[in-house]
Amino acid sequence: MSVALSVSELTKEFPGVKALDQLSFSLEEGTVHSLCGENGAGKSTLIKCISGIWPSSTYKGQINVFGDEAKFSGISDSEKAGVAVIYQELALVEDMTIAENIFLGREPKKGFLVDWNKMYDDSKNILKEYNLDLNPSDLVGDLGVGQQQLVEIVKALSKNAKILLLDEPTAALTDSEVKILIDIVSDLKKRNISCIYISHRLEEVLEISDHITVIRDGQSISTKSRKEWTYDSVVSAMVGREITNLYPRKKSTVGSSLIEVEGLSAEGFSNSHLALTEISFEVRKGEVLGFGGLMGAGRSELLMNLFHGVGDRSKGKVVLKEKAYDSPSAKESISRGLIMVTEDRKRFGLVLDESIAFNLSLSHLKTFVNAGLVDGNKEMTANADFAKKLKVKAPDLSVSVGSLSGGNQQKVVLGKALMTEPDIVFLDEPTRGIDVGAKVEVYELINQLTEAGKAVVLVSSEMPELLGMSDRILILSAGKIAGEFDPTKSTQEDLLEAAMKFS
Amino acid sequence: MNKEMSIRDFTMIMVLGLIWIFFYNQNPEFIGSRNLSNLAIELSIISVLALGMLVVLLTGEIDLSVGSGVGLLGGIACVLIFNYSWPAWAAMLAALAVAVVLWSSMGVLITSFQVPSFIITLGGLLIFKGLFWMVINSQTVSVSKGGEQNLLSMLTTFSFSTIVSFVLLAGVCFALFVSMQKRRKMQKEYGFESLPYERDYLKVFIICQLLLLMTLVLTQFRGVPLSLVILGVAATVIYILTKHTAFGRYLYAIGGNKEAAVISGIPVQKIMCFSYVILGCFVALTGFMQAAYQGSSTTTVGELMELDAIAACVIGGTSLKGGRGSVGGVIIGALIMTSLLNGMTLMAVSPENKLIARGSVLVLAVWLDVFFAKKKK
Repeated sequence: MSVALSVSELTKEFPGVKALDQLSFSLEEGTVHSLCGENGAGKSTLIKCISGIWPSSTYKGQINVFGDEAKFSGISDSEKAGVAVIYQELALVEDMTIAENIFLGREPKKGFLVDWNKMYDDSKNILKEYNLDLNPSDLVGDLGVGQQQLVEIVKALSKNAKILLLDEPTAALTDSEVKILIDIVSDLKKRNISCIYISHRLEEVLEISDHITVIRDGQSISTKSRKEWTYDSVVSAMVGREITNLYPRKKSTVGSSLIEVEGLSAEGFSNSHLALTEISFEVRKGEVLGFGGLMGAGRSELLMNLFHGVGDRSKGKVVLKEKAYDSPSAKESISRGLIMVTEDRKRFGLVLDESIAFNLSLSHLKTFVNAGLVDGNKEMTANADFAKKLKVKAPDLSVSVGSLSGGNQQKVVLGKALMTEPDIVFLDEPTRGIDVGAKVEVYELINQLTEAGKAVVLVSSEMPELLGMSDRILILSAGKIAGEFDPTKSTQEDLLEAAMKFS
Repeated sequence: MNKEMSIRDFTMIMVLGLIWIFFYNQNPEFIGSRNLSNLAIELSIISVLALGMLVVLLTGEIDLSVGSGVGLLGGIACVLIFNYSWPAWAAMLAALAVAVVLWSSMGVLITSFQVPSFIITLGGLLIFKGLFWMVINSQTVSVSKGGEQNLLSMLTTFSFSTIVSFVLLAGVCFALFVSMQKRRKMQKEYGFESLPYERDYLKVFIICQLLLLMTLVLTQFRGVPLSLVILGVAATVIYILTKHTAFGRYLYAIGGNKEAAVISGIPVQKIMCFSYVILGCFVALTGFMQAAYQGSSTTTVGELMELDAIAACVIGGTSLKGGRGSVGGVIIGALIMTSLLNGMTLMAVSPENKLIARGSVLVLAVWLDVFFAKKKK
């Protein structure tokens, strides 16, 4: 079997940091080779070197594509050589049709004019070739995230890509969409297309890969074929130490009720099919209440309704710390001791161009004001405290948040939330897209919160996390509560069955 | 990020230097104390407006109505003084009250009814111009009755005597040193590292030297103009407001990511509305200064000033998308704009060519901005 892509002794330095340190691995033709590593291990930098975003003059070492040394100075070079990158963030134009997107920038032409018939005909054939049941004249914006991802892959393949770099392609996909993606990737192997696969979902990595290379601190720690790896061995190679307990939940004594929701019904969310119906629950001091369910079951919407009044509430009573709370806003919630860490941290959580310090104190700035002015020193002390407590990895706090890895960004969002000294913390998918080590740190933080008598509401799509970290679990299905579970006496199958009850 | 910003600022200072050398070559009178005094007054007028504009641009919004507003509010003050014999201070207060009402209503329309600020203020541009012409009856209204000096006309004509000028200079330098010392002391108390004393000291020393040079040149003519002191106060106010208050942080947060600002518990609508009110007050102040500078209010006062103000902000590194911009940058931007206008007037460049030159500089500045933004990535 020949080698499609090989990387040898690649070193890439940024001022003060060695992002890649003599990294080597090789991808055999027609196989899937996964790269595993914590956030900041150097995976993204590696992808950028291979795809030519970092020109060959900026790194040391050698990259070979099908035996020839690749000296790319831009993405167009790597595309010509048959290398295509599928990013986590989609690069499709939502207001254009599938066909227009597939042929964006290389539209078939008849003289000066676009040959629309040929474009749609070709698109139809390409979609058919990969068994995708999609209509080329549908708008991309009308597709689900998963289908969009597939269109993106097909687009790359239609440009005769021989090597695909898939960077977290499943981060935003539902389980069923992940299955389709995995099927497509296995199908690609038969077509002799080689893939580099990067994902934080290790189950997926183990299912899909032929080889796995673990990267840590910019170095390739170990490359072995799939058979020789286990879930635990990958994790400990990534972290560099044994993680004995992935879900270190410590039960705390449960106290009085902090928030009570009774018969809440609401609709008018951005997902217009969704209506929350007759939802009742309470959360007590020292307790972690888990919310599970399928995508679109209304978990985020429920929390956003309680925290910021998103959607129209038609019915129901909410009591927050023994006081009625009927028309919530983020500002009012925060001053009453309720905080929410949203699922989409880049959209709702952070001002990406600003510094870590700016973001950390943003919700809590009022408390540092002295005679109308922000006391910069007092603020800096608090920021430094929280950054240390949450182990934010950065040279200093004036670094812009946008340049941090996902796990560190999440820590900043958590720090910002905790600085407001909340009694009730809503965590919506707090570990999405972050690595194992950072996950455990988030779990330990949850323990600290409940030990201090706070209440935590945890929304998660990862069943093991829900079972491992919650004291009680409520499952939502199509906007209704489909059951309450005791995590010690329930299995993933029980939860899944309830999640599909009303859908 | 800070490093990149300073490269950009440095480029702008170089550009400014080149402009000055060019005009000096064309006409050495450009750096004469008489011309520099005029330049200082023109700089003050456009900078005050641009500083107000900065506050709104930081949130990612815009205001196209300020040029007409300058005319209208200056016109109201002139009419009250000339036609109704009001004392100048009362006339200015009345115009200021009008500014607060007009700009807070625009703020409410933009935030509560979610109409794009571009449209609302474009409407404002036309409506204020109409009101302006109505107020002055499309005639020329002098800033003072019977040629007597009053508070309004003195805004740009009054200069401090040599002694007072130097006393002011000493006061400013003293304040700079005291605030530096105080900052160092606080940093020490909290155990933070501060710059080596020599560097901090040198920074303040150089600023003081520059101020001294400026005062020396200006006292060769009539002394430090009052309008320059007004600019100093306005710049200090906006600097403290944007960098050292919660309100200022919120402006940057809203411009950087509005949705995140809402979820962070920031009263976004209130802050944005208030940013328009602050701009309105600065428009009124600019209106008074501009009327005083021209000696009267006529139909053309304030024309195209909105574009000069926006240009000064953009040249100074303010992002039209919001979230980026600083007081220092805005003043450098305004200095570039006014130096160009002043120099071209001195060279007797035709009005047609002046317009083309202003436009070209704006386009060039935005191109530079995009260039630096790309480089940063």
